[in-house]
Amino acid sequence: METQSLVLSLLYQLGTSAAFFFLAAVGLIIILGMMNIINLAHGELMMMGAYTATIATHAGVPFALTVPLAFLVVAAFGAVLERLIVRRFYGRQLGALVVTWGISLVMGQGTLLFFGPFMPSIKIPGGSFSYGDFSFSEYWLVLIAISVALIALLWWLYNRTTYGLQARAAMQDATMAKSLGVRTGRVYTLTFSLGAGLAGLSGALIAPTATIAPFMGQQFVAPAFITVVVGGAANVIAGAVGSATLLAAVKTPVGMAFGAFYGTVALLFAALVIIRIMPDGISARLQRWFDRRSRSGLL
Amino acid sequence: MTTAPMLETRRLNKRFGGVVAADNIDLSVETGELRCLIGPNGAGKSTLFAMLCGIQRADGGQILLAGRDVTHMQAFQRVRLGVGLTFQTNRAFHQLSVRENLAIPRIPHDAERRALGAERLAVALETFGLDPEDETRAGELSHNQLQWLEIAMVLSGYPDLILLDEPAAGMAGEETARTATLLKRLNATGLTIVVVEHDIAFVKEVAQSVTVLHQGRVFAEGPVEAITANEEVRKIYLGKA
Amino acid sequence: MSGLARLVGGPADIGRGPVFWSLVALTLLGFALYPSAVSEFQVSNTAYYLLNIPLGLGMALLWGYCGVLSFGHVAYFGIAGYSYGVIAGNLSDSPSGPVVGALGGLLVSAVVAGVFGYFVFYARVQKWIIPILTLVLTLLLETFLGQTAGYQWRIGSVLLGGYNGMTGIPSFGFGEFEFQGTSFYYLCLVLVLACYFGLRMLLNSGFGQVVVAIREDELRTETLGYDIRARQWAVFVLSAVLAGLSGLLYVQWGNYITPSQVGLLQAALPVIWTAVGGSTSLLAVVIATFALNWLTYTLSSEGNQYAMVIIGALLVVTMLFFPRGIVVMLAEHLDRLLPRARREARR
Repeated sequence: METQSLVLSLLYQLGTSAAFFFLAAVGLIIILGMMNIINLAHGELMMMGAYTATIATHAGVPFALTVPLAFLVVAAFGAVLERLIVRRFYGRQLGALVVTWGISLVMGQGTLLFFGPFMPSIKIPGGSFSYGDFSFSEYWLVLIAISVALIALLWWLYNRTTYGLQARAAMQDATMAKSLGVRTGRVYTLTFSLGAGLAGLSGALIAPTATIAPFMGQQFVAPAFITVVVGGAANVIAGAVGSATLLAAVKTPVGMAFGAFYGTVALLFAALVIIRIMPDGISARLQRWFDRRSRSGLL
Repeated sequence: MTTAPMLETRRLNKRFGGVVAADNIDLSVETGELRCLIGPNGAGKSTLFAMLCGIQRADGGQILLAGRDVTHMQAFQRVRLGVGLTFQTNRAFHQLSVRENLAIPRIPHDAERRALGAERLAVALETFGLDPEDETRAGELSHNQLQWLEIAMVLSGYPDLILLDEPAAGMAGEETARTATLLKRLNATGLTIVVVEHDIAFVKEVAQSVTVLHQGRVFAEGPVEAITANEEVRKIYLGKA
Repeated sequence: MSGLARLVGGPADIGRGPVFWSLVALTLLGFALYPSAVSEFQVSNTAYYLLNIPLGLGMALLWGYCGVLSFGHVAYFGIAGYSYGVIAGNLSDSPSGPVVGALGGLLVSAVVAGVFGYFVFYARVQKWIIPILTLVLTLLLETFLGQTAGYQWRIGSVLLGGYNGMTGIPSFGFGEFEFQGTSFYYLCLVLVLACYFGLRMLLNSGFGQVVVAIREDELRTETLGYDIRARQWAVFVLSAVLAGLSGLLYVQWGNYITPSQVGLLQAALPVIWTAVGGSTSLLAVVIATFALNWLTYTLSSEGNQYAMVIIGALLVVTMLFFPRGIVVMLAEHLDRLLPRARREARR
């Protein structure tokens, strides 16, 4: 009983941690993997999602409805950003990094001016239950389930829909895709908008567990970007899942033993060591492994 | 005592996913030789070059430079041992002037290599009509001049072995002939040269010996006359091209 | 051209010819006479604009000339500042305390940058990873310093001070002499000049040519026999030391430092100065750093809460419409307007 509840609690910790990494990074990963753009305004897009959900909740909208609302609002904002600014930076990775950073500054400071330094937060939906000596939050279990569902949904979107096929084609060879009649401009707008929307969705989901403030986006910078760096760009969904799990396995024990700050320090060190061993990230390693398996007829 | 070949590969392997780009390649180029590598598209010529200079890692096998195992060395370390290479697409520094391009390569400390290298560079500059003090931006040069500039730039590092990937690509008859003249004159100074080339007329003009690659394997090897007369070689070429 | 003239006047930066150098001499004369014409308060403010210039130059060197982008160079600014505070504070009885502190601060910055640079450059990571990891490093540093409030967080006799920061940091000086007010202004001016001309000469040398070659084409440069990892690493460490120098001057200027100096907002500033000036010109970055520091200070001291929004929007506008930098594009425009004779003189 005791070992059982200890194992369950450990799994729960790992699961919440991995879900957090995945949610923090998913929007960023879609945009990087499909457009080769690193969106430094990602944290601020999450902040925008959190603000949307918080304001809507305070206005009386049920929390469950504010999440899709945040997705839509931030996705629309993302589409505008792409049309006006980001599209001029395709093929200029460092330029895109710098300009999205400028956007993040304006968004953070603008929010501070508009909404003030902080906003009353919303309380975590659902209760908690205990098993053995440990207690589990229902909300975090729901977040784990949502993460798994998102992974499945994204896999389906990219492997089974026309949009997914066109997006992957445009990523690999934009000129060829264009000559086959793919409207690459529209595909990029959709992809950026989807990535932004997912950031908004994650922001809304994480909002009840966080302090709502203009610079709350900053706290997602380290986990989100480390997840992406470790995951690499070869196969974004596999990379994100692999890297979120691995990072959770690093952070959870260190964080439990020494506190959250040292957990994050351990993350940075893990990232440095992992890129030293695998400069192209986990996903490149996974990709090779899959290739070998499929060649030898095992998959 | 027999001297080791300038360049040798032993059972070199490389695959990309399901494609075998190099399948147990054994190659041996003697010091002072001028070797041409030919083969239809996708035969593995560029991959072999990339592995020889260290841009790509071999999956298995060995690469030896003058008897020394360089398989696990970085590209710059091999260059310091005396390898120079040009790329299939021109990679002279377009933003820099001709003079600056020629001033960039790292020059070895060895006095003997310096003297020989300077002589070879002078031959190249003279053949191509390039002025080492020219402050013209490389980007303003014509295609031929850029190709030649890259060869001269590589020779400015005083290599003992140069690997040229299609040096005459996109050139007209007269320029191709000038490139061929240079290769022969450089070779006469004892420089070892390995050339990847598509143009069979060019190959006949410059090469002493030819290696034919096909589907990642050494398909045939021998003196240039024998290879161009070989029915099997003609077949794989004609079958493709 | 003789050796030295070639090193100073070579093609690594904009600005050549007698007209240009006369203008430089006049500007310098203006800066030299400035303290005698204005109040001590204005001298101190101008010293603040000057002391940020090495940080901007470090960014230009790394980003514009070497093609490596760092979003966390303020980390080295902060590390040098805090290290100086700790060392000089503990040696406050010794006359050589500030000198040891300054050298120690630069050394600690160099060592941290060296270790970090080893991991990223020797792994040959993709270009976009470096700005991300540098940013994460500086955010972690801010978090760490922010939780160092309380008596248990002290090194020797110096308190780290948490979010309130480290206070009472000694001024720089030799023995009895302390750099303050006007003398501190001249110290900043001399150091800025030394950094600018030193870098201009370095970039016109063979080393600088290879650095630019790496930016243009890494693979081509490596296959000309250069260990590009070592070069990038060396440039990274040098630029971190320059950031450290600014950090040292900053703590000597105000005698305090807080964790927000290594926070996200501060981290953005050197990138903005460099982008607005034009990362491929040292001089343009010097001008932009000075001008933008003046602008930020003027905006925020008038109680304008839009200061950071304006600065952020300036970055976006620059990247959209002046991708090579506002100062560089203005300079090119000016160059076209000047008579042909000047262009001839340049050759």
